[in-house]
Amino acid sequence: MFNLIWKDLVLQKKGVMILLPALFGYIVFNPSYIWIGIVFSIVIIQDVFAKDEHSSINKLLNSLPYTRQEIVTSKYIGAIIFTLLVALTMIIGGMLIHKEIPTWKEIMLMVSLSMLAVSFIFPFSYKFKSQYILKAFLVLFVVYMIVITIFIHNLNDILREFVQTILTLEDPSVFLVMILSIMVLYIFSWLLSIRIYRNKVF
Amino acid sequence: MENVIELQNVNKSFKGFQLKDFSMTVKKGFVTGFIGGNGVGKSTTIKLIMNLLQPDSGTISIFGLNYKQHEKKIKQRIGFVFDDNIFYEHLTLTEMKRIIKRAYSNWDDNLFRYYVEQFELPLNKKIKTFSKGMMMKASLTIALSHHAELIVMDEPTSGLDPVFRREFLDVLHRLMENEDKTIFFSTHVTTDLDSIADYIIFIDKGQHVFTKESTQIEEEYAIVKGEKELLDADTKKEFISIRKSNHGFEALTANKNRIEEVFGQMVLIEKPSIEDIMFYTKKGAEWHV
Repeated sequence: MFNLIWKDLVLQKKGVMILLPALFGYIVFNPSYIWIGIVFSIVIIQDVFAKDEHSSINKLLNSLPYTRQEIVTSKYIGAIIFTLLVALTMIIGGMLIHKEIPTWKEIMLMVSLSMLAVSFIFPFSYKFKSQYILKAFLVLFVVYMIVITIFIHNLNDILREFVQTILTLEDPSVFLVMILSIMVLYIFSWLLSIRIYRNKVF
Repeated sequence: MENVIELQNVNKSFKGFQLKDFSMTVKKGFVTGFIGGNGVGKSTTIKLIMNLLQPDSGTISIFGLNYKQHEKKIKQRIGFVFDDNIFYEHLTLTEMKRIIKRAYSNWDDNLFRYYVEQFELPLNKKIKTFSKGMMMKASLTIALSHHAELIVMDEPTSGLDPVFRREFLDVLHRLMENEDKTIFFSTHVTTDLDSIADYIIFIDKGQHVFTKESTQIEEEYAIVKGEKELLDADTKKEFISIRKSNHGFEALTANKNRIEEVFGQMVLIEKPSIEDIMFYTKKGAEWHV
């Protein structure tokens, strides 16, 4: 199974080599680590996913001595590795450019929220196709805009404040609960994806 | 004799297609050709053998093992070739090899180099620039580089030019001479089989029609040609199906000796090609319905 993760790292080498310097560039102008970290993580993870999505590639992977469970699991572990890679780049970028690294809370929040997003994106992508994710995002965005303009005008501020409150929280138990619940969700999502992938026809 | 592949009473249905109570065996150490028209279930069967599909009912065992418990063990011992490109197109053959190599415990780089040289494959060109023939050679190279005991191929010769097809069959010939391998491949180009297949399995409309030794086919089957007057209700029964024209009739029999007894010198008896057998058997099935 680690061969599969290694394969994704090799396949993504070029993409990462372009995206991570871009992330560096972004940090120069805007050190809002959390959102940009999430965006970069998800773009990379989705790209990795899309590369294996063709039915011909599925035919290859499933004909090689791997089980379907391993194929799905490798994607979930790989997603964490890529997110940590983005986090590492942000730490190094912050250190070199702003002479201060993002706080551990920021990193933690970035990684947690990325995992949260992946928990929804992967089962969706296995069930349908990852190209529909973009459409789903657009729909969500429109819904969000409608909510902002019609119902809750200051939703943006509320979210920003919410994140700030979390970041300034002193009590580590809140973080612990948050991380644990996201981990449970991630595991649940992993099991669900295995279930979906097991019955796929190529 | 040991069976490498065994399908027993396998059923699998999709929208508009069904594999019905399908049983077949592939014997160890022989080349078995799997023939049938387009869309009769050849690819579905191969996917079942590769565990790309699971049967609705029935059992499948490879090397005497089942996929539920021994999936990885089984796949370690299979080399596969599909009729479409299953590699990452933006990679070179060397890069692709590096990825696949890690999956197999028996990977042999020397063997890989040997086939790359023999097939004159470019190692550093992107796979998307490969022609159909090169693609097939690349697939075969990968399939043969990990000492697989069983080679499974889905329509390996489709879309290849005749020269390369001959070359391809030569490679298989040599492989069978030197090593104790089992080859199972589907095709609708039946001339492929004449030179190489020891056994032939014929599938039609999702059903197993027959499994026979090539020599047995030669002994039993015959194309019979003669005057239309020879045909009556009784003599017609001797044939699988009959085609009539103004000049006479042409028919297929599965009992050559009997025809010789019944008609003697009045008819012409010829050796059928596998294509003849496929054509008349299919027609016969429609005829008897």
